[in-house]
Amino acid sequence: MMKISNITKKFSRFSLDWRRTDTFESKIYGIIGANGCGKTTLMKIMAGLVKPDEGEIDHGGLTPRDITMVFRKPYLMGDTVYKNLVYPLKIRKITPDEGRVSGLLELAGLSEIRNQYAPSLSSGEQQKLSFIRALIFDPKMILIDEAFSNMDIKSVTRFEQHILASQQKNPITWVIISHQLSNIKRLCNHVYFMDSGQFQAEGTPEQILLDPQAPELKSYLYQQSF
Amino acid sequence: MLELLDQETIEIILRTLRMTITSTAISAILGVAFGLFLESLQPTRTLPKFFKWLVVAVNRTLMGMPPVVMGLVVVLIFTRDGPLGFLRLMFTFEIMIIAQVLLVTPIIAGIVYTAASRNGERIRAFAHTMGASRLQTQMLVIRELGNEIFFAIITGFGRAMSEIGAIVMVGGNIRHHTRVMTTTIALDTRRGFQDQAIQLGIVLMLVAFTIQIIADFLRKRERRNDENF
Repeated sequence: MMKISNITKKFSRFSLDWRRTDTFESKIYGIIGANGCGKTTLMKIMAGLVKPDEGEIDHGGLTPRDITMVFRKPYLMGDTVYKNLVYPLKIRKITPDEGRVSGLLELAGLSEIRNQYAPSLSSGEQQKLSFIRALIFDPKMILIDEAFSNMDIKSVTRFEQHILASQQKNPITWVIISHQLSNIKRLCNHVYFMDSGQFQAEGTPEQILLDPQAPELKSYLYQQSF
Repeated sequence: MLELLDQETIEIILRTLRMTITSTAISAILGVAFGLFLESLQPTRTLPKFFKWLVVAVNRTLMGMPPVVMGLVVVLIFTRDGPLGFLRLMFTFEIMIIAQVLLVTPIIAGIVYTAASRNGERIRAFAHTMGASRLQTQMLVIRELGNEIFFAIITGFGRAMSEIGAIVMVGGNIRHHTRVMTTTIALDTRRGFQDQAIQLGIVLMLVAFTIQIIADFLRKRERRNDENF
């Protein structure tokens, strides 16, 4: 369980101003909002990548090794798909379970190219590899920043089903940033809407997407529908 | 080729290689560490952005420093009346290495810093999200910047190999003692012994050519890495 309170972060052209307290427990959370509204900054603060100027983050017993983040433009090491996938295990000195590795490669549709040089993969394949790399070490919190944006629909559906199935068996905390509102609707238990670096609205996907109250949210959804 | 070279020439070639390899190795350790450290420095209240900019600007100036100026600085420091004159290092093999380290370290540090500025933050962020420790993160940064670091070292090696201005000032070009390939070529040409100068010139070019082949191979590898654009 992670609790964030009154987080602020100032940059030269933008500032995040999250003046509230929120708790993230073993559920799937969504964050939506227009480009540059502060979603990624908030997520990076939660991941420990950016230090806030003000505010408190209570990790609730989670260590940095329990939290991972999947980026829209993932970093892949100059090595094979397989070596990239097992890197989190290698640094934990855990011997990879071949069955698990094969299962994840199959989930991502990368089994055939496990020995291929990872940076040469297509952007969609890179996102898939990055996603299964986050799953392999069983983190307790996974932050996903538009990590499905370059994937084909079939792969996105497969990953969504995997998330929902694993969430039933072993619930962890997921925070998902996406502009694909269908992802948010299918996956999330709770959704936050941000605008200009600030919190604007929250609720269930139905409340946020089907019955929006805040004018900024209405405007955002209207623009997203085109 | 070696059969054509006399004993003294072989001695000069071996001394040159010993000096160049030693100074490049020391510079590589210092330069890579300093370049990566500089890149990882985050501006804070106690360490303003200006300080980092200043250090980078000074390093870039040192990268292009004329060797004779560096030679002059080393002479002033190590001359009998200088602050480190008591070490009695003037006109020794060791002071030639010191002069070369001072010339080559900023070059390696500058190249490593530039390469790390492009990708270092991204690699560290990735390592953090994978749960890597500080040491594991540093090891990953070095591994991922391997090509660039190697290229920086090769560039430094080339500079050390071809350098003459500083080492002739601090080493004195003493026969069987501090004479190396570049200083010998200059001396032989001036004395009219072109044969030995040509021999050494060819060996020097062969070494430079080998360095170029390695560098070119690395660049090809980099291009292959980026084939998906």
